[in-house]
Order: sequence, then C-alpha cells, then structure tokens
Amino acid sequence: MADLVWLHEGALRLTHPVFAAGGPGAATVFIWDTDRLADSHVGIKRQLFIYETLAEMSESRSLDIHEGRTEEVLPRLAAQSNAGRVLVPSSPDPAVRAKIGAIRRAAPDLEIVEIEDTPFVTMANTPDLGRFFRYWNKAKKSALRPQGI
Amino acid sequence: MNETIPLPTKFADRAAMLAHLRALSGHDDAASAIPDIAAGGRTAAEAVLARIDPRAYAATRNHLDGAVTRLSPYIRHGILSLDEVRNAALASVSDPKQAEKFIQELAWRDYWQRIYLAHPERIWSDVESYKTGFDAAEYDAELPADIAAGETGVACIDQFIATLFETGYLHNHARMYLASYTVHWRRVSWQAGARFFLEHLVDADPASNNLSWQWIASTFSNKPYIFNLENVAKYCGPDINTIPRHNLVLDQSYERLSELLFPYMGGPHG
Ligand SMILES: Cc1cc2nc3c(=O)[nH]c(=O)nc-3n(C[C@H](O)[C@H](O)[C@H](O)COP(=O)(O)OP(=O)(O)OC[C@H]3O[C@@H](n4cnc5c(N)ncnc54)[C@H](O)[C@@H]3O)c2cc1C
Repeated sequence: MADLVWLHEGALRLTHPVFAAGGPGAATVFIWDTDRLADSHVGIKRQLFIYETLAEMSESRSLDIHEGRTEEVLPRLAAQSNAGRVLVPSSPDPAVRAKIGAIRRAAPDLEIVEIEDTPFVTMANTPDLGRFFRYWNKAKKSALRPQGI
Repeated sequence: MNETIPLPTKFADRAAMLAHLRALSGHDDAASAIPDIAAGGRTAAEAVLARIDPRAYAATRNHLDGAVTRLSPYIRHGILSLDEVRNAALASVSDPKQAEKFIQELAWRDYWQRIYLAHPERIWSDVESYKTGFDAAEYDAELPADIAAGETGVACIDQFIATLFETGYLHNHARMYLASYTVHWRRVSWQAGARFFLEHLVDADPASNNLSWQWIASTFSNKPYIFNLENVAKYCGPDINTIPRHNLVLDQSYERLSELLFPYMGGPHG
C-alpha cells in the first residue's frame, strides 16, 4: 500500500524528509481547514503566502489542496488513494497535534507517522531552556558547524 | 462527494488568488488592496537566501535599513530549513566566526521552538510574573481600538503599524518598539498584542512571536524592555518620523520613563 503525505503550513518544502520517507509515488495533500486557520489566527496575508507556496509546489509534484475539516477529509482521501499510512512532518503546534489526535479517533485503523525535520543542532543532553544563553552556550559548538554535526 | 475535488492552484495573478482565499474564508470584502508581502515559494526563498551577507548583518542588523535577511516567512513555513540557512551562511564566509552573530539569531528560533514543544502552555500564559510593579490583572485584555487602527497619534508607532498592515513584515527593532509601547505605555496584556501580530505578520509564529512578547513584557525576562525617542532616531533612519512634538510620550530620558511607566517598581504595590 502507498503512503499519503499530509503537509501542514510549517513544512512547505519538497526536500523535507517526509517526502523521502513516502517515496516518489506518495500522493501529497494539504487540507485548507478554514476553522483551524482562524483558530490559529492565520490572517489573509499569511494565507496568501502559504497558498502561493503550495501552488508553486504543485507544479513539480502531485499535490492537492482540499478544503474541509482535517479529521473528515484526510481519512477519506487516504481511503480513496488506498493509503495504509499517513506521513506528516512533526510539529510542535498544539493545533496540528490536536488534529492528529482527532484523525486517530476518526480512523483508528489509519497509521499516522510523524517525520522529523533535519536538525539545526545536535546535543547530547536536553538543554536547559530557562534562558536563551543557557541553551546557546550548549548549542553553539554544534550550531557553528555545517549540518550541526 | 463534492469536497474531494481539489481547490484550484492556477490563477491569473495575485489578486485572483486573494479573491479566492477571501471567498474561502467567508470575507467578501474583495475590494481591499493587495498586500505588498514577500512572494511565496521556494524559488523566491532561494533568491533571498542567495543574497545573505553575514558580515554586514553582524555590523548593521539593529538598524531598520541594516542588512537583515527577510528570510523569516520562508523559515517559519519550512520552505527553508534552519539547517540549510546555517549551512549557506557558513559557506558564504571564510571563518565561521564571521557568521556567528547571524547563526546565533537563527538559534533564537530553534530555542523558541524547543520551548513550544516542551511547554506548549507557555505560548498563552505568563511564564513568570510581570516585573513592572503591576499585576497581570492590571493589564487590559483587549487591544485598544487606536492601536488596532494604527491611529495612536504617536507618529513613529503609527508608521510601524502601517508597515505591518501593508507588508506583513517589521524589522526586529520595530517589533520591539511596537510591543513595548503596547504593553508598557498603554498597559495592555502581551497576549492582546501577540494576537494582533499573529494576524498580520507573514512570518507569524506562536513561539517566536508570543515568547518575544513575553520577553518585552518581563514575564519571560528579568526586566521590562523600554525604549525612548532618541533610540528610535538612532536606529530608524530618515523614513521614520522622530520629530519630538509628533512623538511626545516617547521623548524622555530612560530614568524619567521608568518613573512614569513603572511608579511602583520595587515598591510595595508589586
Ligand atoms: C514582539 C516580537 C514578535 C516577533 N514575532 C515573530 C514571529 O511571529 N515570527 C518570527 O519568525 N519572528 C518573530 N520575531 C523575531 C524577529 O523579530 C524576526 O524573526 C525577524 O525580525 C525577522 O526578520 P529577518 O528574517 O529579516 O531576520 P534576520 O535578523 O535576518 O534573522 C534571520 C532569521 O533568524 C530568525 N530570527 C532572528 N531573530 C529572531 C528572534 N529574535 N526570534 C526568533 N527567530 C529569530 C528568523 O527566522 C529570521 O528569519 C518577533 C520579535 C519580536 C520582538
């Protein structure tokens, strides 16, 4: 069974690792969920920027934008494209995380796999996030190297 | 099964795409102007990335007309990864030290994103209490109408708001001035200000935006950030109106501003 790549507005590039995970044949969708956009305060200027980006991406890869509630549209599209897995770029955004939860409840048989982006820095231990410079003192060495390695 | 038909992606021009988006979101005020925002997409992003100059950046980044990159909408939407922007910066200098200031600014984004993941509740709640002598309850929960309209009567502030509306972008220093004016001069909660920015910035990001507002407010820093007219004049260049009589409330020494804005700081009230 093929995979379905579900993109959100935090990961709009074709070199994101989610595409390598899905392989060249994976269909790609972006769900234009107007309620979620409004809840996340996405104004019209940002909507235009996001849509322009998606339109350009759709010129070099099969990518469809579908309107509707994510948890309703996505399981239906997965069924139509006969996908067993949905691959989604991982996101810290609680709104995206809530939608992943809602899809899991709506379609318990659909596997959802989150794919991490390439890291900016690599650190042995979880850094102290109390203030920026505590983090920076630990991150600096890695941050100043190509690939953060 | 009407909903399974994908939305169109080809439009004659930006105006037509904008009209389509307005219809989708239920706004049919189609007559409003086309914003002068950054072009979306990877091609535009790569062109902006090709122009970065980390050495000039380190020297001039605090000035409104300095060599800042305007990469933020591309980075925020993952069109460019922080990793590839860093790699491009390193490739453009002969010694990594020359790119350190720029990479440190990229690291601010990574830092805020880590907090977002580890403590999502900090996006809308005070991380710490205000260090201004006022309680959180003393800050207005709503943005005043004159700020929302860009008609505060403080000339430089109104110019910043107009730029925000037209371009969806503000230089970091202008964001700091506008946020500080809102929270400290007008005693408005940082949350109300953060919502206003989220709706207008093309790079709007809950972590970078809201945690920066908390940094200005002092709920995620050791003291409130304030500025004065002399500082605006130093960094803003000739396009910003810094004539004292058009910016009266900003035209004070830091010492006097502290007394005016935070009369109870360090005292029993706070
Ligand atoms: C009140 C306030 C609100 C802000 N809201 C946002 C926001 O919604 N989205 C956002 O991306 N940035 C936000 N910032 C941070 C910063 O102002 C912008 O990232 C920067 O001005 C974008 O312009 P640039 O791309 O020309 O930046 P440059 O100075 O050229 O920096 C390069 C990149 O580094 C990152 N960066 C630089 N400074 C910061 C910073 N302080 N925090 C986080 N990332 C940084 C950005 O991705 C930026 O594109 C805010 C700052 C303040 C004070």
